[in-house]
Amino acid sequence: MDQWIIASEFAEVAVSLDTDANGPRLRVEDLRGGRVRYLDALELESVVWLSDERVRELLDPSAGRWSDRPADG
Amino acid sequence: MTVQYSELIQPERVHGSLYTDPSIFAEELERIWYRTWVCVGHVSEVARPGDYVRKNVAAQDVIMTRSADGEVGLLLNRCAHRGNLVCEDRRGNSSSFRCPYHGWTYRNTGELLGYPYNQGYGGKNKLELGLGRVPRVDIYQGFVFASFAAEGPTLKEHLGAAAGELDRLARLSPEGEVELTAGWLRHRAKANWKLLVENETDGYHPQFVHGSVFSVTGSPIGALYSDKSTAVTRDLGGGHSENDLRPEFRRAARPMGWFGTSEARVPDYVAKMRALHGEQAEEILIEGAPHVMVFPNLFIAEISVFTIQPTAVDETVQNVTAVQLKGAPEMNRRLLSQCVGSVGPAGMLLADDSEMYERNQRGMAARRPEWLDIRRGVGRERIDENGFRIGAANDETGMRGFWAHYRGLMEEGAAQ
Ligand code: FES
Ligand SMILES: [Fe+2]
Repeated sequence: MDQWIIASEFAEVAVSLDTDANGPRLRVEDLRGGRVRYLDALELESVVWLSDERVRELLDPSAGRWSDRPADG
Repeated sequence: MTVQYSELIQPERVHGSLYTDPSIFAEELERIWYRTWVCVGHVSEVARPGDYVRKNVAAQDVIMTRSADGEVGLLLNRCAHRGNLVCEDRRGNSSSFRCPYHGWTYRNTGELLGYPYNQGYGGKNKLELGLGRVPRVDIYQGFVFASFAAEGPTLKEHLGAAAGELDRLARLSPEGEVELTAGWLRHRAKANWKLLVENETDGYHPQFVHGSVFSVTGSPIGALYSDKSTAVTRDLGGGHSENDLRPEFRRAARPMGWFGTSEARVPDYVAKMRALHGEQAEEILIEGAPHVMVFPNLFIAEISVFTIQPTAVDETVQNVTAVQLKGAPEMNRRLLSQCVGSVGPAGMLLADDSEMYERNQRGMAARRPEWLDIRRGVGRERIDENGFRIGAANDETGMRGFWAHYRGLMEEGAAQ
């Protein structure tokens, strides 16, 4: 399994292609937080087409991990 | 007590306290470094959206970024929450910065994107805070300049005649652009920043300080600064000055002679330049690159680019990189190796010069005589055909121009 580490001083993730399921998916692991998420082709395509505005929202720390509400994921 | 600069700076001498008095240094930060235009870097250092590099304007830690829409901006490296450094690496690529202290996250334009557990602030988008931005950023020939003053002379006005020297550097590229992509070395000198500036266009010292280098390498540079040389030192106004070696290069009439190389070694480069410039290519290749000090902190010594950063009254960091010419790979390899050999960590020229600035600083701890002399060539200066004051290649004409401008800035609007 080829794996790429994409890191900056702000975040560090390992990215690889996962073929264990019935179809291929991208495996993304947050190396600092330990959490893993799989992204299928349709999800990835959607990420490509997200508006900058939506990406900006994703970057808000309160949007996910550090939300006051219980995490939804 | 207010310093009387008109007493400390006289036409033929300057007072030693200008290099050693911490209160003068503090005033320089306000009146020069945080008011006029200071060179920060070059657009090619942040070529792609999301690229960032850390820079300095004196003690200010600045992040040069390129936003998603291609704009180059300068942010201050200070979290709007509790003042932590937002960014630690010297360079990287990221659309956003996350402060390590409490996770506040900013766009690389400085805009606050959010903060963890936002209910404590009443929810999302409740804070009108962002990273500080350098009020004025302007670019000339790819060189990025910063001014902390919201108003004042434009960059073009500040550069004045020095702009032509940056043009002269850029036109050596077959694509008309310089790139500063070789990475920067940082040298720390225990000396006041003005000693470095003065040394940059001091044509009196090379034969002594660099004599051993010239003799081992057989370099013809020493002769350019002899009394027989037709080269000149020019006060370009605005505190800028240059050693104009073109008269000697023209006399020798050798393309690439300024670079100590010949056409045979860089044939593709010369061919490209001829294709682009036609007959004028000969002139460009013979005249070569400038040797210019752009007030207060950009120094171009033909093949190397320096930025000077004062960190204390007696300490200065000098950042240096090799000139790289867009579209000229043959030249770039040579430019890099020559630059490393002269001003790299084991470079001979920079080691020589550093020793001199530091000895100067140490010497000035002695209290007598109080003055430093800058009169060399006063009696033989003349005005050239463009109205600039010039002296012999080894005269102190550039220093006198520097001090006249310095004095104007330090006295301007000063409390009486
Ligand atoms: S100081 Fe930066 S998030 Fe608190
Ligand atoms: Fe020197």
